[in-house]
Amino acid sequence: MMEKARAESILRSALELSKSDEIEVCLGGGSYSLTRFANNTIHQNVSEKRNQLSVRSVFGKKSGKAVTNKLDPEGVLSAVRQSETAAAAQPEIPELLPMPGPQQYPVVDAFSPETASLPPGFRAEAVARAVRLCKKNGLQAAGYFSSGYGSLGGYGEVSPLAMANSRGLSAYHSGTEASFSITAMGEGSSGWGQETSWLVSNIDVEKVASVAVEKALLSSKPRQLEPGKYKVILEPAAVAELMAYMAWVGFGALQLQEGRSFMAGKVGQKVFGENISIYDDVYHDLLRGRPFDSEGMPRKRVTIAEKGVLKGPVYDRITASKDQKESTGHGLPVPNTSGPEASSVVLEGFQPVTPEELVKRTDRAILVTRFWYVNVVDPMKVVLTGMTRDGTFLVENGKIACGIRNFRFNQSVIELLSNVEAMSTPVRTGGCVVPGLLVRDFNFSSGTEF
Amino acid sequence: MKELAMLAIDAAKARGAAYADVRLVETRVENLGTKNGKVGSYEASEDMGFGVRVIASGAWGFASSDDMSRESVEKTARAAVETALASSKVKEEELILAPESAHVAKWSTLCETDPFKVPLSQKLEHLFKVDEALRKVKGLTIAECSMGFVREKQLFASTEGSLIEQELVHSGAGMTATAVGGGDVQRRSFPSSEGHSASGGYEVIGRVKLLENAGRIAEEAVALLSADVCPSGKKDVILDGSQLCLQIHESIGHPSELDRVLGTEANYAGTSYLSLDKLGKLRLGSKYVTIVADSTLPGGLATVGFDDEGVPAQKWELVKDGLFVGYLTSRENARACGEQRSRGCMRADGWNRIPLVRMTNIGLAPGTWKLEDLIADTADGLLMETNKSWSIDQMRYNFQFSTEIAWEIKNGKKGRMLKNPNYQGISTEFWNSCDAVCDETHWWPWGIINCGKGQPGQIARMSHGSAPARFRGVNVGVAR
Ligand SMILES: [Zn+2]
Repeated sequence: MMEKARAESILRSALELSKSDEIEVCLGGGSYSLTRFANNTIHQNVSEKRNQLSVRSVFGKKSGKAVTNKLDPEGVLSAVRQSETAAAAQPEIPELLPMPGPQQYPVVDAFSPETASLPPGFRAEAVARAVRLCKKNGLQAAGYFSSGYGSLGGYGEVSPLAMANSRGLSAYHSGTEASFSITAMGEGSSGWGQETSWLVSNIDVEKVASVAVEKALLSSKPRQLEPGKYKVILEPAAVAELMAYMAWVGFGALQLQEGRSFMAGKVGQKVFGENISIYDDVYHDLLRGRPFDSEGMPRKRVTIAEKGVLKGPVYDRITASKDQKESTGHGLPVPNTSGPEASSVVLEGFQPVTPEELVKRTDRAILVTRFWYVNVVDPMKVVLTGMTRDGTFLVENGKIACGIRNFRFNQSVIELLSNVEAMSTPVRTGGCVVPGLLVRDFNFSSGTEF
Repeated sequence: MKELAMLAIDAAKARGAAYADVRLVETRVENLGTKNGKVGSYEASEDMGFGVRVIASGAWGFASSDDMSRESVEKTARAAVETALASSKVKEEELILAPESAHVAKWSTLCETDPFKVPLSQKLEHLFKVDEALRKVKGLTIAECSMGFVREKQLFASTEGSLIEQELVHSGAGMTATAVGGGDVQRRSFPSSEGHSASGGYEVIGRVKLLENAGRIAEEAVALLSADVCPSGKKDVILDGSQLCLQIHESIGHPSELDRVLGTEANYAGTSYLSLDKLGKLRLGSKYVTIVADSTLPGGLATVGFDDEGVPAQKWELVKDGLFVGYLTSRENARACGEQRSRGCMRADGWNRIPLVRMTNIGLAPGTWKLEDLIADTADGLLMETNKSWSIDQMRYNFQFSTEIAWEIKNGKKGRMLKNPNYQGISTEFWNSCDAVCDETHWWPWGIINCGKGQPGQIARMSHGSAPARFRGVNVGVAR
């Protein structure tokens, strides 16, 4: 994303061109580079630079939107006019709210100049160290090292970093991110590790690579176990995958208002175990995300559940007005059909122990490194299915006994969160901050060929 | 445009690139949706930029930007070479591309009515009519309709002398009816859970027949709330094309991508059960299973003149009468499976991404059955329609799919409606249990618009032609 002064000048020029009753303008983008490796070789190495302007014009209750990456005066003018034409051509949206006025935002320190402009040689050297470690152990390495600044999502989608509207709202945020991920592969086994931070120096490439190597070596010649209900140790990456899906199908106010969320009829009731608390907290020290949503509203730390009791969903402006509440700052671009989204899930509750301690205090359990291809089977019970991947182990008498072949699970996350017996220290993974969990009665329903 | 492309190529060469190609891409998108009688979402976007891909010191580099100035083009080309030199520090062997002739050509999607010239009011009017027909049905909670259009103008140029201009147009529409009640949520979509998209102009929308099916779809969504739950056990299953398309995609399409087979997607999308030793040897399916890859299919979402490496569109078999015989390949990896030329499967998601091996249009060849005869021939089975949920392991063996609806078949008769149907299996066992495929009168090129792959992520689109087919002794009702 560009500097604040340039962003503000483009936004101002768009506001000045407006002929509509209200106008909202957003800028997003940045620069992102990713060095990818497989078979102990850097096989893809890419970078992109882009910015995007989005303009929403409103006449009365009619709203229209245009998006462009042409940021010269002609491009800006064309986007403003297109959004006005689109608004005029649309029927009224009776619920459309007036745009919000000026807001106050907490300052989030998430920009590291070093992380923003890491040269390709830096990433290649880090990858070389990880590859050497894998080769020394007779393994093949695959993974990536990425770095950049701004708001380019994993699929190139752009979210706003600078916003302004004709009612005086003005918001700006800039952040950096670096991420390293590695899969170490042996004959018939693999191990995986990943770290993501706003600060590249927080990423310990050697540590992540050693974890992947150790898992690959420990899981060679995996044993086949029968599917069934097992006690499991879910490492944080596995927990994050389940929590992100649960948030997606059930933490938003619109789903609740439409009766499509597991929360329906249960707010205020105890639905999880005593030691489970869930928050949406973009300000968590490990996350440091953008302090406003796509409506320009300040993001709040929201308690979804405390000590097992459901407290309520996250709100955008329209769902909040329906429930006579205030927006919690979780809105998507207006208008939308999917409602507000919780995207900074934090799970805590137990006195945390080290990950090693979680294994040590277990007689017999299956340890899961991560899940893969998770999908929703029943949104009302939050039943999910998916596969284990890259390091699935049998734990016996407080030690990893052997690697096992991968399983498919079909499991309600609500039930899972009632069966937690211990937690490790929460870490940042998959956009969440979650601990590893020791859970009883986890349902593995079938096996596979590896 | 051509001048900028040449500037990039020359700048890359001057910095020492042994090979370079540049792609300039201009994309226009319009997406609109209605929900319960109102505009639910609307966005029109324009986007333009370029990407330079080079080989230097035997390794790949790529850089891209949306700053189209001469200065930026040269700077980006230099960055691509610098990146390739960094890549060359970590490599096991030299990179060699399979030979391809230089092509100077223009190619466009056959498009009768430019969808961007159709007024927004006309598009909304159509969707509101469908919306009204859906909401006429008592008990329906949410009616959602959508339409989407994409036009991509591409210019490809390479140091080998290729200069290819293409214009691709895709259009699509769909609807979803959701019923909520008694602590349950049920949904029906049409024609599939992603609607239907095809290459072509506004004429595609009329072929989707939303209005003609709205009443039935809404009634089924409401009826599902009080339907019996699909039983568990082994059943003979007839999969409608609206589910079979995704079964083909996940359990044959992805595993036949040669880059996955060779391990280059191991950290994310995964690898494949179709290892090189299986080519020409593995009985992937029964003799009724023939799978055709076809980048020339009229109306296909992956139909192009050339792929994003400048290789012409082709048509070939992946599975012939049950035998696994072909891969999806690129110029870089074709030789690994013993072929001299790329099959032309490299496609990139916009100017800011490199091309990856992507599925082209991949279809199940039609068989000889009529659906009514197939139902009459089934003693104890289920007819499953419209994909709802999907999951498959990273080597593509163990899959589990849910569909929106199923119908019980008892002694050759289609009987009661069943809710929450799902089935699970192992890819090769499943395709070997196929004993009947319906004929071309039932065949339809189902469009997939959200296939994810790569790091950073890319979305690709493709069509999977299929007619209903029967599979014996399938594990159903697995997630109760
Ligand atoms: Zn896919």
